[in-house]
Amino acid sequence: MKSRVVSLLAPGVGLLVVFVVLPLLWVVRASFNRAVDGAYMVSAFTFENYVRFLGSPWYLVNTLWFSVRIAIVATVVAVLLGYPVALYIARTRGLQKSVLMTMVLSPLLIGLVTLVYGWIVIFRGGGLLNSLMIAMHVYDEPIRYMWDLKGVVILLVYIGMPYIVLSLLDSIERINPALVEAARNVGASPWKAFWKVTFPLTMPGLHAGLVIVFSLNFAAFAIPLMVGANDTQMIGLVIYREALLNNDLPFASALSVIMVAANALILTGMGFVFGKLILKRLEATR
Amino acid sequence: MSIAPDLAIRVDGLFKQYGRMTAVNDVSFDVGQGEFVSLLGPSGCGKTTTLRMIAGFIMPSGGAIHVNGREVTHLPPEKRDVGFVFQNYALWPHMTVAENVAFGLKLRKRSKSFVRQKIEESLAITGLSGYEARLPRQLSGGQQQRVALARALALEPQLLLMDEPLSNLDRALRVTMRRELKQLQSRLNMTTLYVTHDQEEALSMSDRVVIMSGGEIARVARPFEIYEDPQSEFVADFVGTTNFFDGTVLEAEGETGKVRVGPSLQLWIDGDTPMARGSAVRVSLRPERVEVLKERAAGRNVFPASVVFIEYFGPTIRYTVETAAGERLQAEAHNISRPISIGAPVWIRIDPGHFRLIDRKGR
Repeated sequence: MKSRVVSLLAPGVGLLVVFVVLPLLWVVRASFNRAVDGAYMVSAFTFENYVRFLGSPWYLVNTLWFSVRIAIVATVVAVLLGYPVALYIARTRGLQKSVLMTMVLSPLLIGLVTLVYGWIVIFRGGGLLNSLMIAMHVYDEPIRYMWDLKGVVILLVYIGMPYIVLSLLDSIERINPALVEAARNVGASPWKAFWKVTFPLTMPGLHAGLVIVFSLNFAAFAIPLMVGANDTQMIGLVIYREALLNNDLPFASALSVIMVAANALILTGMGFVFGKLILKRLEATR
Repeated sequence: MSIAPDLAIRVDGLFKQYGRMTAVNDVSFDVGQGEFVSLLGPSGCGKTTTLRMIAGFIMPSGGAIHVNGREVTHLPPEKRDVGFVFQNYALWPHMTVAENVAFGLKLRKRSKSFVRQKIEESLAITGLSGYEARLPRQLSGGQQQRVALARALALEPQLLLMDEPLSNLDRALRVTMRRELKQLQSRLNMTTLYVTHDQEEALSMSDRVVIMSGGEIARVARPFEIYEDPQSEFVADFVGTTNFFDGTVLEAEGETGKVRVGPSLQLWIDGDTPMARGSAVRVSLRPERVEVLKERAAGRNVFPASVVFIEYFGPTIRYTVETAAGERLQAEAHNISRPISIGAPVWIRIDPGHFRLIDRKGR
């Protein structure tokens, strides 16, 4: 029995080790190396890459803190927009539900790059949206929708929402309708019943959604690359530039380690807060 | 229309339609103050829909509901002031026992000391003192059911509605909880409307039973009347086991008649209405009213038969017996005499007074 479990686990664990753990270890090791002009990199054990990052207000504020802020804003907006959608879909059945689910999931069904190019066609200066709005005399001058911070956030929200909706939907549909009826029965208005019963019980789903979407947003690379501007230096983009354009693999590695560590720290903090608030109660055992 | 103030619930011509399907069809009944009334019926008979309409979880398609003289037909559930105990308990899993009980009181903005005192009181009467800080999932099914009851009682509702509250418990616990529930209800004089599909529960706990079938009321009566004089084939069949006989009256002596019920069987039946010669009658006879004897005895309705099937229940044994001409009936005997084996010849005796006329009109 035990050997069968091990043999079933082996392929998955093997893949993880080869394609995630080993590369990560390699990145950690590379982050202590030294970059040399014209060479690949020199094996060393130096903290200079970390010092360069942590000692620079520009990197700390304009890259790390900037990425955290953008990730938080895009995640919060995705939750605010996604929560009502999840509540609504949870009430539907049959064909209506299938149609709505397909609509929500469609961003995940199209490759990210294809999707962003589609957005560009619609939202760029002379794009579909502006032409339409001007033709309909909604406004006269083309409005700038992308190649700035706003565009990056809009797209991050768009990509993040399906994950939020899916994980919330799972939580909402697990709630026994009698729990809400019981709240109404003892005197709660529909609104009170939502805040005191439904909302707390969707915390596991909200937490799962936040973990996924925050991580995706924090490490975003393709979206800031394709619709960003010079002032949208998110950390994923900076890592890409250091590694592939500046050929500074050790510094790019150090940035990666810092990104992973910062993300882990934030997710741990989030897990702690959620655990304290509610998850511990929901997971309590006899 | 003025409503008698001593009625806790009055349901008038209640309807509920789902599309073309009628779940509740012209249901009217009432419940007096302090009374324990059961809604009994097979699944899909509309009993739970009726209860949920009284609680306000479902809006009726027609009819009126009054609670303590106040019309509540279209009020939302939070405006009705009725307690409700759910089949699956419906305790809020993220709240402790104390928080579950306190929730309704806090919504009413009661003082902290009042809330604390109410928690203590309602947990004490349901035998849950000391469990305040537990979470629902840390309790057994029976304990969860008590919390659900404590939560309802803490608000001192005018009326308690219960939707099969014991059906998720195992049998031994169900019987214990049934007794406790009934004793508590009597002690608090709490008006209760109780939905169940378990006839034992309905008969043992209720002052009156409302039997429903196919969305309609089949009978409203006290438990012993329901069992002893079912009046309709559905009630006789649904509550307990019974023998049905159809026949023609051969001789009539006032309210007693000799009725031919089969090729060989002629039974003396004591109805409570005058019998007319030549008229058709339908009667029900409870199996425990049939005597199975080893020897011929004196009296009316004594005839020979043989045992063809035996069901051993423990305290009682049910015999299916057959006459030489092939008429069958069921007899249930206490498990005190020496058992009779299949194929054994027996004598059957039935007191004419034990038959009950079925499908009588104008009663």
